[in-house]
Amino acid sequence: MLEINNLNSGYGKVSVLRNVTFHVDQDEMVAIIGPNGAGKSTLLKTISGLVRAQSGEAKFENDNIFCLSPDLVVRRGLAYVPEGGRVFPNMTVLENLMMGAYSNPGILKSGILEEIYALFPILKNRSAQFARTLSGGERQMLAIGRGLVSRPKLIMLDEPSLGVAPKLVDEIYEKIHALKRIGLTVLLVEQNTGYALELADRGYVIENGQIAMEGTAAYLSSSDHIKKFYLGL
Amino acid sequence: MKFKNLFNPRNIFILIGIGIALAIPLIFNTSQYVMLLMTTVLLYAILASAWNIIGGMAGQLDLAAAAYLGLGAFTTGTLLIRWNITPWVGMFLGGLVATALAMLIGFPLFGFKVKELWYALSSSALVVVMQSLFMMWNEVGGPTEKYLPTGTSPWYSLRFNNYLPYYYIMLVILVVVLLVNHWIRYSKLGYSLLALGEDEDAVEVLGVNSQSSKLKALAIYAFICGVVGGIFASIYGYIHPAFFDTSMSMEITILGIVGGMGFIYGPAMAAIVMVSFREFLRASLGSQLAGLYLAVYAIILILVALYQPRGIAALVELGMKKAKTYFVELTRGRRADIKSN
Repeated sequence: MLEINNLNSGYGKVSVLRNVTFHVDQDEMVAIIGPNGAGKSTLLKTISGLVRAQSGEAKFENDNIFCLSPDLVVRRGLAYVPEGGRVFPNMTVLENLMMGAYSNPGILKSGILEEIYALFPILKNRSAQFARTLSGGERQMLAIGRGLVSRPKLIMLDEPSLGVAPKLVDEIYEKIHALKRIGLTVLLVEQNTGYALELADRGYVIENGQIAMEGTAAYLSSSDHIKKFYLGL
Repeated sequence: MKFKNLFNPRNIFILIGIGIALAIPLIFNTSQYVMLLMTTVLLYAILASAWNIIGGMAGQLDLAAAAYLGLGAFTTGTLLIRWNITPWVGMFLGGLVATALAMLIGFPLFGFKVKELWYALSSSALVVVMQSLFMMWNEVGGPTEKYLPTGTSPWYSLRFNNYLPYYYIMLVILVVVLLVNHWIRYSKLGYSLLALGEDEDAVEVLGVNSQSSKLKALAIYAFICGVVGGIFASIYGYIHPAFFDTSMSMEITILGIVGGMGFIYGPAMAAIVMVSFREFLRASLGSQLAGLYLAVYAIILILVALYQPRGIAALVELGMKKAKTYFVELTRGRRADIKSN
């Protein structure tokens, strides 16, 4: 579904990603794990078009999305939930969700908001509240909900557990698992390796801007490298 | 056009304000000086309200208002002087010329994501560049004033011998600009502007083309400034490169911020309060020490920034909320009294 080949990317002359190749298949949940500063977020930003790729190939459903602007990428059905949620603090929860339908306002009539409220009941209770009054976990749920409004085929989540109270992390992950059940393909970037490998089908380990390891989640969790450096076992 | 939310209590106050503004010259026997002053206040109110679209909503610290205003003035003035084209047409052409310049500047600036201070500096440079250009361009500008002909009919050449018609024209434009503000605020464009003012990256990954949203906001703002520029030239009766005035741009931005970023009526209210106050200070302190009024004005601006950073409009909102709860409690208390009796 999503194919990335030999992607090089970075900021200005500083290159962050070097020859990154990976793919995500339909209905799969793929985790990208790695230490701080390895280039995980840059990878998602490059795919979504926020950061301009230097060279390589990016295809989504066999369409070339390499170096497309972010608004065009999301219109193809590739949603991206940035790190920390990045909700609009001075807009209400409902307005935040409606912003998700910006490229296709007609979608609001399809009952998507009810579906999102069913997934995140808390958002329904808070719909008239300003987003700045939400807790870290609620903001994250709002951000995921906002990403879902456009009915994407693939959703990319950047560190959904970041800034969320430990008690709520389980809940967030339950929701992410639910996304897979309703037929979404998920690309998950996480530092929280244990959680990510528990949920994902396959995983890639990114170190210093390069893919260091890849394999099924079970294979990665049993590998010595992961155990030693990521899970601390 | 969506005009929901138009008739809420807040806007009824605005309607009352407009009514008062309409009546003032009819009731009071105002002098020409006061009329010019009130027209100037309205001019600032219009420009600050227009700035609200690019600055208050989209969060772009634009400092080029005087560039667009001056361009509108020169377009209108030159058309009247050279080809005897009425300013009624000229001012809209001036608006279009200002919009064209804004697009020329905005396209690369927004394309390369020039933001915040850098955008402010670039836009303020535009005013200086325009002033120098028109100072050298002798056919249109030049260092001496070019006077607008009075012609045969004052309505055709928009040259009146008193300020009353200008005052009413400005008032009409202010109402239109406030309506435009209201319409944008509750439109799809308005939501995208508010969102990108808060977080540009986050809004782009939701499918908003932020460059095109910002360009639209800039175009509307520049058009309004250009149109007002045409009337500005008519009021003063001449065109001169001094119309490209950096301090005026600055003041419009300040009024927009002091009024309350994103509140529809905030900038207009700030203009009415602050510009009248500045002129009052100028009249009362000007004779004692030149420039003292500016110092006092600056101190007040600093106080507003310190104690009311969300602007005067936020203060009014708070006051209205308190008044509302007060009245609710008052009526409740009365009901309780009746019951206990």
